[in-house]
Amino acid sequence: MDRAAIIGVGMTKIEKSKVRDTFADMAWEAVNKALADAGMTIDDIDNVVTTSSDFWDGRTISCMAVGDASGAAHKNVTCVEGDGTYGAFYGMTRSLSGSYKTTLVTGHSKGSQSISSLITNSAFDPIYERSLGMDMVTACAMQARSYMHRTKTTPEQMALVSVKNHGNAMKNPLAQLPMNITVNDVLKSEMIADPLHKLDCSPVSDGCAAVIIAHESVATKFKQKPVWIKGVSFCADSFFFGDRDLSRVKSLTEAAKKAYAMAGIKDPKKEIDVAEIYDAFSYQELMWLEEMGLADDATAGKLLEKGDFNIEGRLPVNASGGLLSGHPVIAAGLYSMAAVVKQIRGDAGGFQVKKAKTGLVQGLNGLGGQSHCVWILDQEK
Amino acid sequence: MTTKQMKGFEDSYVVEGKMALPYTYFAGSVGSKFITTIRDEKKIMGVKCPTCNVVYLPPRQVCDKDFTDIRDNWVDVGTSGMVTNFTVVRYDDKHLPRKAPFVLALIKLDGADTPFMHILEECKLEDVKIGMKVEAVFAKETTNTILDIDHFKPVAERASIHERNAGRKKWVADAEPAIQGKQKGGKPDMSKPVIIAAALTGAATMRNQNPSVPYTPAEFATEAYKCWKAGAAMVHVHAREDNGMPTHDHERIRATYNAIKDKCPELIVNLSSAVGMGKTTEQRISQIIAVKPDMASLNTNTMNFSIVDRKTGKIFIEYVFENTFTMLQEFGKAMEENGVKPEIECYDMGGLDNTLLIAKQGFFSSPMNFNFVWGVAGGQSFRADSFIAMMNALPANANFTTCGVGPEEFPCIMQSCLLGGHMRVGLEDNIKMPNGELAKGSYELVEVAVNIADSLGRAVATTDEAREIMGVRKK
Repeated sequence: MDRAAIIGVGMTKIEKSKVRDTFADMAWEAVNKALADAGMTIDDIDNVVTTSSDFWDGRTISCMAVGDASGAAHKNVTCVEGDGTYGAFYGMTRSLSGSYKTTLVTGHSKGSQSISSLITNSAFDPIYERSLGMDMVTACAMQARSYMHRTKTTPEQMALVSVKNHGNAMKNPLAQLPMNITVNDVLKSEMIADPLHKLDCSPVSDGCAAVIIAHESVATKFKQKPVWIKGVSFCADSFFFGDRDLSRVKSLTEAAKKAYAMAGIKDPKKEIDVAEIYDAFSYQELMWLEEMGLADDATAGKLLEKGDFNIEGRLPVNASGGLLSGHPVIAAGLYSMAAVVKQIRGDAGGFQVKKAKTGLVQGLNGLGGQSHCVWILDQEK
Repeated sequence: MTTKQMKGFEDSYVVEGKMALPYTYFAGSVGSKFITTIRDEKKIMGVKCPTCNVVYLPPRQVCDKDFTDIRDNWVDVGTSGMVTNFTVVRYDDKHLPRKAPFVLALIKLDGADTPFMHILEECKLEDVKIGMKVEAVFAKETTNTILDIDHFKPVAERASIHERNAGRKKWVADAEPAIQGKQKGGKPDMSKPVIIAAALTGAATMRNQNPSVPYTPAEFATEAYKCWKAGAAMVHVHAREDNGMPTHDHERIRATYNAIKDKCPELIVNLSSAVGMGKTTEQRISQIIAVKPDMASLNTNTMNFSIVDRKTGKIFIEYVFENTFTMLQEFGKAMEENGVKPEIECYDMGGLDNTLLIAKQGFFSSPMNFNFVWGVAGGQSFRADSFIAMMNALPANANFTTCGVGPEEFPCIMQSCLLGGHMRVGLEDNIKMPNGELAKGSYELVEVAVNIADSLGRAVATTDEAREIMGVRKK
């Protein structure tokens, strides 16, 4: 099979409220940063994939609204609705299709302009569920409870994820919430939806990220070192909440297995050097790690306490600060991807980990991680 | 839309808008039937996949596991179930149906395999638990939505019989001895707590009929304990060998008796002096003298005791159950001399009269305890008027309990409870629940008896009260 690589990344700083920036302003900034990172001009881009969601954008057909600022005028531009990792998946397939060599993928959102819970409430079934008031927070609160119930993970262990990631964010100038906090601070923060405290939850954020994905034939043509896509897969679970065992994430296990197989990874615990995973809520980091086989079942909390997932640990997880430190939905997965790309290139600055040959990126879509997208990126082709 | 200047950003302003788009959501045939059934019949319906047998709630058109069309395969999943997951919503927002704090829960209804979401109310936030039992409360006025179920509420779990007994005054006998007339003239004395006895085995009920029949001492202990937990004050025991055969072996009987006493010291244990078919007089009484149980059965007349096909009248096993006057007298004396309180088994009025004759010798201690047995092939069938006739023939201060074979168990114990008597249930007499399903053990039949006592407002006797009422020696 032909190969593809990520040859440029660009992100705005993640902020609580980018009052001065429109979506186009943010896209313009992120795209130009990615082009500069790659050593490309907009003319080197063959086609564009934007990632957006109409309700977060507050407009219909939102994919068309940032095309101009992304340099998509007169190009083939298309849109993916969902997390940026899914936009990147489509971008990669386009670069591998033979029709295009380079794809610019963007993802943007401004949580500050909407009320997220109203949007996520509308994701629930209109006949059976929506009027009960479920939203992403309550959905994830239930998932957290079932995960804790099954694995005996403690609130303290969950809080420690928040402590670690906010601490890591202090080394990342693009992060929204660098904080030096304690487990006690997390446990004492306001209860939002039991068992989730405020500091177990990611913040409302604004930001835009862009990545450029190139076919192997042009991947080394530009100035940037390519980071190779070795494996990628996504997989979805049932829509209705009650149909799933909420304490398990079959779709993630499946997606990770396929991505490992594609990348030739036999023992992910040993072969993955660095991971950026979707920690929209503290428990998710632990749960996703276990479901991807990066920690044994029901052990992630204990391994976290041992320091395994710290920047200096065995497997640094969310060294960038993760989404707990800034969570522009839709763009989020592209931020994670860019963070791993920088780690592998050795460009991560303050949050650079020691060994970063092979990295893992995980994005998700849907309520309580209904669908997951797993990427294996590598220094070597 | 309105515009407003942003504080601290003099060069920026925002436009306040709204994404409010009218939209018609068709519920489809499945969603429509689901909602209208809740609205019109107060029933919650799911759909069952005929391929994988999963009952889905909410209902849907297609099974996402095997892609089977399941839309018309409706099943009633009931209106009560269990909380499988929940959260307490601590924030207020426009999309929320209640003011914070309130509980959203995943609820698995009894007839469904997949839990569905709803609001949980009428309980303290701190009392919500995974596994708690809940039931639907339907809305007073319909909105033709899922909110035609207004919310779920906890099903009040009834306190155990022991908790309830601990919360009431202990029964004590009237200073003035009860007069026989109190039970006459249609005025039953229901002031005494009702003693529930569980007959765990008998001599003839085998495991192929009901797998909960105990054979080993350990099994007897477990079954007896369950019955005590459920409200029984006494168990009646025919000890068995490991292969299920009734035994007169003293060691086995003693081991069985002791196992029950070790597990549940306060429970009254009543051993059979019939033991099983074909046992000699010596085999029948020597074990009672050897083990000296709290109580023992005393049979009152020689009779047919057969196994027949009740539909066709065909005789399967012919057996004469021998209980001569001499045996009645000698067994009764032996029991009284050894501190074992006799339970006098009357299979018809003749047996009762036999006892009254022999009782003139004066060796029976007061009060005498009778058991009216109904439905033995060779004895009499349960009839309400026969019951009253037997009750009216009892000596002053006598207690009576009753048991019935097969489905006669329930009407006879109900009448006994109503008339101020006591109740015996258990796998010896009957292996099924009132709905015809196999009882999970004698304890489930004890639960039926407790329900009967509850519905008549009679307290269920503790073991202490039962000893006092029947004159059984203290533990």
